[in-house]
Amino acid sequence: MGNSGYIIEMKHITKRFPGLVANNDISISIRKGEIYALLGENGAGKSTLMSVLFGMYEPDEGEIYLRGEKVKITSPRHATQLGIGMVHQHFRLVSNYTAAENIILGSEPQNKLLGFIPHVDIRKANKDIAELSEKYGLRVDPEALISDMNVSACQRVEILKMLYRNAEILIFDEPTAVLTPQEIEYLLDIIRGLRDGGHTIIIITHKLEEIKSIADRCAILNRGKLIEVRDVADTSTAEMARLMVGREVSFSSEKTEAVPGDVVLKVEDLTVRSEMGYDAVKNVSFEIHSGEIFALAGVSGNGQNELADAIAGLCSVSSGRIMLNGNDITHLPIRKRIESGVAYIPEDRHNVGLVLAFDLSNNLALKQYYKDIFSHRSVIDRKAFDDNGSRLIEKYDIRSSNGCKTITGSMSGGNQQKAIIAREIELETPLIIFMQPTRGLDIGAISNIHKQIIAERDRGAAVLLISLELDEIMDCADTIGVIFDGRIEHIHKASELTVNEVGRFMAGVGDGGEST
Amino acid sequence: MIDTIIIDGLAFALPMFIMAIGGIFSEKSGITNLALEGLQGFGAFTGGLAAVLVMQTVGSGSQLPYYVSFIAAIIGGMLYSLVHVVMCIRFRANQVISGVVVNILAMALTSFLTKRINEGVFSQTSNKFVLGTSVRITVPGISRIPVIGAVFRDVYPFEIMIVFIAVIMWYVMYRTPFGMHLRACGDNPHAADAVGINVNRVRTAAVIISGGLSAVAGMSYAYSISANFSPDIYLGFGYLSIAALIFGNWSILPTLGACLIFGFARSSGQAIIQQLGMPSTYNDIVRILPYVLTLCLLIFFSKHNNSPRALGEIYDKGKR
Repeated sequence: MGNSGYIIEMKHITKRFPGLVANNDISISIRKGEIYALLGENGAGKSTLMSVLFGMYEPDEGEIYLRGEKVKITSPRHATQLGIGMVHQHFRLVSNYTAAENIILGSEPQNKLLGFIPHVDIRKANKDIAELSEKYGLRVDPEALISDMNVSACQRVEILKMLYRNAEILIFDEPTAVLTPQEIEYLLDIIRGLRDGGHTIIIITHKLEEIKSIADRCAILNRGKLIEVRDVADTSTAEMARLMVGREVSFSSEKTEAVPGDVVLKVEDLTVRSEMGYDAVKNVSFEIHSGEIFALAGVSGNGQNELADAIAGLCSVSSGRIMLNGNDITHLPIRKRIESGVAYIPEDRHNVGLVLAFDLSNNLALKQYYKDIFSHRSVIDRKAFDDNGSRLIEKYDIRSSNGCKTITGSMSGGNQQKAIIAREIELETPLIIFMQPTRGLDIGAISNIHKQIIAERDRGAAVLLISLELDEIMDCADTIGVIFDGRIEHIHKASELTVNEVGRFMAGVGDGGEST
Repeated sequence: MIDTIIIDGLAFALPMFIMAIGGIFSEKSGITNLALEGLQGFGAFTGGLAAVLVMQTVGSGSQLPYYVSFIAAIIGGMLYSLVHVVMCIRFRANQVISGVVVNILAMALTSFLTKRINEGVFSQTSNKFVLGTSVRITVPGISRIPVIGAVFRDVYPFEIMIVFIAVIMWYVMYRTPFGMHLRACGDNPHAADAVGINVNRVRTAAVIISGGLSAVAGMSYAYSISANFSPDIYLGFGYLSIAALIFGNWSILPTLGACLIFGFARSSGQAIIQQLGMPSTYNDIVRILPYVLTLCLLIFFSKHNNSPRALGEIYDKGKR
């Protein structure tokens, strides 16, 4: 080997998990100094393939050649020694350490006190990191605490961590999922800069525009198999999408003009204190009419969770009022709220949306189990549960291995979400809240959920859609509100706003906030 | 009277402080450690045994048994802490349950062994190793200063040793690479693992350190409060030190403050009894003072506590 010009060759990689072949005989070769994208839906096997390369999983079959030599990568540590670095989707940072401390962790510069007592030379670390951040144009304050940083800054720390360890090959796992459009632009610039500096980049993503904008080549995976490797310059996004999903996809959801009716939800001067003790939502007011989708855009952690929880009754309100169809529900207990007409699809499927240890029929009856149709004199009617379960599974196409009896914890994220949406839509409430409804789902599932959201509106419900995905907001919204630092300063008709304007509002630009 | 409060308060607070530092090491690495009580008892047992054995050969006039006992206690405490290590790290048991079991086991095991050894080796029926109280040191000169001078009067040698060890442990925790790795393991073990730190090895070391430091505390109490080793060593000081480290927000210096508050609360209670000439039956009322104080402090401190984020979580490499 050795004269192939490829820095990485993965040959015939197969990785099996119980009941699933995550990678089925995949072979890819990556040239030194290129940006190589891995494209595929969730569960296509992109992350598994990269985990194999990064030493987190051992492949069942196949070989890896690095710089022409056969290697067996046994651990992330080993991968790091070989010059491979990975920026994970969930950052691996110590929250109560500074940026510099995180970057040097595990390979600290040391000094000897009085000539023999070892200690970490934090001053040198801070200086080194400042220089490194200067060199690559990655703005990071070495002495800032991770817990005080936003996602984008944390990501830069992760990248510096790899560079500090002299990584030559950098793997990015869905790097743009949590960033604002401006932050994404900035990140893509950094990635281009790294490539021009001689680094080899592998980027895992399912966002086609990004691939189009930065990648040189792109491997498309579907259900664990490699479909094709394309030169990005010669391939249209539509074609990539078709290869990825295996069928034609329409990008924008088709929807008719909204026909707003009466005000359903009216939030007045609402202030909510977060668990951490600061005001997460500050004097927020807005209204949603029946037959209207009100989409709330914002970067993660600007008060969206608290706002949704306050309306659904999961956390208490410090001041202000929440009116539903003219009735004050500000202090109603949760069950009363559900009965008065609030359905909620929470962001956290696992802890709030479902009881993972319960089977599907139980979960589907979770909000109505006490009603006469499901129980008689406080004794649960199993048959009613199962009938209801089977009916919803059929109607909403919830796929599971064992029908009603499937333990929800074993289901895929997309089907878990379908189950929650089925349960909530079935309540047929005047208000329905979707919090990050498509998070972590693939294109097929996303377009289905968008259709359901629009169908809910057309039924006459008031829909509150809270999302971090700008595309989703632009696709679905009739009205767009932007939340920044707990305040909603901008509420406009969707047709009056461009993506860039929303992105700017999300970053707080124009309101004295900082931009990235 | 203030002098007595300071002298007795320090003699009580410093062992508690060193035990709490042990707890901080363990918990900052991510292992919940309720076993401090058992660790200090077991350490005092091995130390007491060593002291009695050495006393037989060199006689009771020498200072040798005193120092041997502390070394033996540290070794015993470290070895016994391996029970917690094996349960929590090797077998991934629930750390709270493991801690409680370690405590109960220590109580039962040491009382049983003390009786058997007294019968077998020293041919006497007793459940204690009689140690006597330690000598006390008074620093000439500065001990005459009013009020503050009391800090340097009637000092147990172990207090000096503890201050010394505490400084070293502070340095290890906040200045060395090991300390940095340890604190990282308690906050985000995945982050630590990703940069090549062996999480389980660091945690093992941390629990063993807590065993050694708790044993120093146990031995100190055996030489001061009870003047012997007996099952009476299990008075709950281990739990109190856990309370102290929680009030101290898992940092060493604030924990010292919490320990001093407990120490002075106890010694001033005792001083009040003596002053008022209360009958001895009221002693027990005073003994509960630190615990009542704990309850009150809990109300104020529970909101601010910043426990290590990964505390009590079993580290599973595969879980992401």
